[in-house]
Amino acid sequence: MIEFRGVNKWFGALHVLKDITLSVEPREVVVVCGPSGSGKSTLIRCINGLETIQNGDLVVDGQRLGDRATNMTELRTEIGFVFQAFNLYPHKTALENVTLAPIHVRKIARAEAEASGREMLAKVGLADKFNAYPSELSGGQQQRVAIARCLCMRPKIMLFDEPTSALDPEMISEVLDVMVGVAEEGMTMMVVTHEMGFARKVAQRVVFMDAGAVVETGTPEEFFSDPKTDRSRAFLSKILRH
Amino acid sequence: MLENFSFRTIVEYLPLFGQGFAATLWLSIVSFAGALAVGIILCAMNLQRSRLLQLPAKIYIDAIRATPLLAQLYFLYFGLPRLGVVLPELFVGILALALNSGAYIAEIIRAGILSISRGQVEAGIASGMTYAQRMRLVILPQAIRVTIPPLLGQAIVLVKDSALLSLISVAELTRAGQLLASDRFMPAEGFLTTAACYLVLYYGLKSLAAFSARWLGVRPIGSRT
Amino acid sequence: MIWFQLQSLIGSYPLALRGLGMTIALSGISLVLGTILGFALGVLRTSGSRMLDSIIGLWVDLIRGTPFLVQIFLIFFILPELGVELGAFTAGIIALTNLAACFICEIVAAGIRSVPTGQVEAALASGLSQWQRMRQVVLPQAMRVSLPPLVGQYVLLIKDSSVVSAIGLTDLTRVGWLVVQRVPNGLLVFAIVGIGYFVVCYPLILLARRLERRMSAAHGEVQL
Repeated sequence: MIEFRGVNKWFGALHVLKDITLSVEPREVVVVCGPSGSGKSTLIRCINGLETIQNGDLVVDGQRLGDRATNMTELRTEIGFVFQAFNLYPHKTALENVTLAPIHVRKIARAEAEASGREMLAKVGLADKFNAYPSELSGGQQQRVAIARCLCMRPKIMLFDEPTSALDPEMISEVLDVMVGVAEEGMTMMVVTHEMGFARKVAQRVVFMDAGAVVETGTPEEFFSDPKTDRSRAFLSKILRH
Repeated sequence: MLENFSFRTIVEYLPLFGQGFAATLWLSIVSFAGALAVGIILCAMNLQRSRLLQLPAKIYIDAIRATPLLAQLYFLYFGLPRLGVVLPELFVGILALALNSGAYIAEIIRAGILSISRGQVEAGIASGMTYAQRMRLVILPQAIRVTIPPLLGQAIVLVKDSALLSLISVAELTRAGQLLASDRFMPAEGFLTTAACYLVLYYGLKSLAAFSARWLGVRPIGSRT
Repeated sequence: MIWFQLQSLIGSYPLALRGLGMTIALSGISLVLGTILGFALGVLRTSGSRMLDSIIGLWVDLIRGTPFLVQIFLIFFILPELGVELGAFTAGIIALTNLAACFICEIVAAGIRSVPTGQVEAALASGLSQWQRMRQVVLPQAMRVSLPPLVGQYVLLIKDSSVVSAIGLTDLTRVGWLVVQRVPNGLLVFAIVGIGYFVVCYPLILLARRLERRMSAAHGEVQL
């Protein structure tokens, strides 16, 4: 579903992705972790073209990024992206936020889009917030709207860029619960997060990155009980202490 | 001293000031509408990637900002006939005001658009919107809210700038004051009345700007009042 | 025809230089005086006295609410009636200085208000006097916010100085007006006048932009 082959990226002189080779199968849930600045956000931002790669191959849903034949705008409709800072549209209500792209990008009839929007908002536990503006919602609620906004596009892949790190601690679980629900329905997911509980529960694989390179991959059990490198051990000892 | 200050003469000239007030009001409205059009076009050009479109807009905006309105007004007033375009003074004045304010409005709109956070743009990109869709659905609706208060600020500037049209004999508010001053040798009566009329317009627009800022829930960004 | 006009224009060269000199003198003197007065008014406005604040606020509003042309006429024609004899140059300086002071007062006051109260409290806690607090803590931080709009304001004032040509001062704009009576090519004459202003104003505009960019260096240009 997603395949990196020898991908490199630089920001100016800074080598942010070093020779990444990695593939994600359909219906697989992969958690990406690593210290800040390790390139994990950049990695998933490349998948929907928010960042461009300089060399190597990146194939998403059978289409090679950067090919003339690949229509990025169309490909993006198949990929949901959840941001750390939610990025809800402040001038739109929750329901308008989740129906905007279906109506204007997917060209779905308004009534139909609104019906599915209500259904998705209800699914993330916000049946009573259809007409609330983002400023009237808590961080956890905003992030759940953002997830519903992606689901309304019926994507094949969902990407999450540190979805809980901007949240107050008491709101983290409500968002993680929704994400677990999405994973259990068989969505292909790549999640940048330090929430190891989430990784244990639903991830098939954990990818550990450091300094722009993939240092270690393994099942959650392998990774947490028997990390193979010094860097991953150091990282785990830091985050698990909290 | 001003012990001879004559309210009676002012009352006598009130119809003239009424006409001047009306003229200043409507020529400002027409000029502002023109300036909005000029500003939107310039801003659209300025935001393009193509240098071919960007550069003329940038040069125009800088040229306008670095030269006085009065020189621009004379440029058109003395220059247009040279090109075979003979317009009434009033039209020349409106044209000058629109072309001048348009450059400032372009910058106000640009600042409004650039004030929208990168995350909003990315959210649009990520859901597969085209550039035009992001502009129309995500950026402009938010940008318009933040630009309305500074646009009203620019309207205040434009109303005051329109006083310069009196120097090419357009019959407006300042011209009315000049007439009273020169007909009766009463500059105090003439110009104080003129000033009072402008203050009415100023306070009107200022409270509108404050009201709109509160209503839209935004703090005004840099305006040129 | 054009050749004849160009010759005639070159003949106006000394007049043009005098005009440019007048524009620079007028704006230079008023900028300095206006800046000093504006800073003083700005500090007074934020000094905590409600009465001072509203008196200055009212005056600033009166000046901001009326066209500069009308202000010049008022000063030039009415001060003599009150027994103050003054020439066009003095009237121009007074009008421009007053205008500058009012706008700069607002910029400085806004800068001072932007300094967090915690800064003042910290200065209070370490026993600085009111003057020391202003001088050592508040003004330096206020300046960072005020500098870009201050430079922008200078550009506006140089341009506003063109309006004094209306009371007969031979500044750059007035020179254009005089020349165009002899050389009937308004496009050419006022394009040259425009270049004169551009040479003075554009470097200041660039400076204001650089200062602004340095202040908001954290925010990159947004891709749309």
